[in-house]
Amino acid sequence: MTLNLCVLTPNRSVWNSEVNGIILPTNNGQIGVLPNHAPTATAVDIGILRIRLNDQWLTMALMGGFARIGNNAITILVNEAERGSDIDPQEAQKTLEIAEANLRKAEGKRQVIEANLALRRARTRVEASNTIS
Amino acid sequence: MSCTSNSVFRVSSNPSINLKPSISIETKFNPFHQLPYSSKPTSRFQIKCTIRKIRERLSTVKNTQKIAEAMKLVSAAKVRRAQEAVINGRPFSEALARMLYHINESVQLEDVDVPLASVRTVRKVALVVITGERGLCGGFNNAVIRKAESRIQELQKLGLDCTIISVGKKGNAYFSRRMPSLFVDRFVEGEGFPTVKEAQTIADDVFSLFVSEQVDKVEMLYTKFVSLISSDPVIQTLLPISPKGKVVDAYGNSVDALEDEFFRLTTKEGKLAVERLKVGKRSELELHPLLEFEQDPVQIIDAMMPLYLNSQILRALQESLASEVAARMNAMNNATENAVELNTALTMVYNRKRQSKITEELLEIVAGAEALRPLD
Repeated sequence: MTLNLCVLTPNRSVWNSEVNGIILPTNNGQIGVLPNHAPTATAVDIGILRIRLNDQWLTMALMGGFARIGNNAITILVNEAERGSDIDPQEAQKTLEIAEANLRKAEGKRQVIEANLALRRARTRVEASNTIS
Repeated sequence: MSCTSNSVFRVSSNPSINLKPSISIETKFNPFHQLPYSSKPTSRFQIKCTIRKIRERLSTVKNTQKIAEAMKLVSAAKVRRAQEAVINGRPFSEALARMLYHINESVQLEDVDVPLASVRTVRKVALVVITGERGLCGGFNNAVIRKAESRIQELQKLGLDCTIISVGKKGNAYFSRRMPSLFVDRFVEGEGFPTVKEAQTIADDVFSLFVSEQVDKVEMLYTKFVSLISSDPVIQTLLPISPKGKVVDAYGNSVDALEDEFFRLTTKEGKLAVERLKVGKRSELELHPLLEFEQDPVQIIDAMMPLYLNSQILRALQESLASEVAARMNAMNNATENAVELNTALTMVYNRKRQSKITEELLEIVAGAEALRPLD
């Protein structure tokens, strides 16, 4: 029995095939989903999605969204998703440094909100490109 | 031969083509008809130049024609890609709209307090204006800018403050000139195809403006792709989002995504045509009755609203791009046709001049030979 995982972004479908299990980063921590999971709807935080496929774990950086777990069918709707293997580690590290610098420079409620979001996204990308386990 | 040096060729102007000299109707249809030396009362333009100049002009027009035709073909290819991008984004927006609808159904009874849907008394309005990056697209950018101006006037008459977020180089250029009298929040420049990152930048900006209560309402002005020939600038209310997921126009007309139709570029009898397919309202309720919410429904809706915002903005960007490219295709098509006409006119004039020059020389030679013949 395998799960059918569907990861959708506004401009394309990133993943649409069967998996053995996933670990989903939500606002309340990480949840693992195996076949025959109870139907659940959850918000997805900016974090790393781990996909288990044939005893191998793949990573994907998710930039926040929503997930719905149905009858062995998971639909994840995110603003942006990148496969860990597609992210260039150096470039991700540079983006992280820029984001940190921006946060230090930020003034005012608006800029702080924006800078924080950018920082979290950059951090997720760096983590996704590093952990290949 | 009643031929004199033909340095003046009168052409009559075709009233439907502004300021473009064209052959008089007579000569066009009767190529063997004698040249109208007598001045036509409707003539306004004269091609009064030497053969060399006409040759130069001919080559210029040929070049321009080639360029215009190339741009037309490129734009035709881009329209197809733009429309494919919209189709690729369909699964996302459909799934999102469905889930939003379902989740709202189950939280109907509770008092949902979502920051992005909070309706406040409107004092300040932000207007996101989406224009194109380059010119040569007919009246596209002008239509958008005119609509933006009229909307700003309306809002100012109502006593509301207006902030602009300008997307696209053309709009940026315009609004930067209006800077002192109009407050522009941010200039966004796109790079080719609209990406999620761009939509994210705009969405972040709009989000922070709205949540920090600097504005109370956000509207978006973009060009809706109606058909290959016509496109319409529309104003859509982005924030506050109505919890039902219905998207409403600035004037209260529903621009619902659930009932949307999308266009498809196909060929009909060898010509490009646009097919519109309506997306029917999905009535299948896949919501499992035992669906558990991992978090508070409020938090879940909170997470979905930015997604919705993002996808709306991205769709607007994509439609704008498709309209711009279609407008460019049309403009270049017209330019090519005009160039062909101009080419014909100039070629005619060139040939006439050439022939009359030859005749002149012949006459001189013959007359000279006659004069040199020994008197009998």
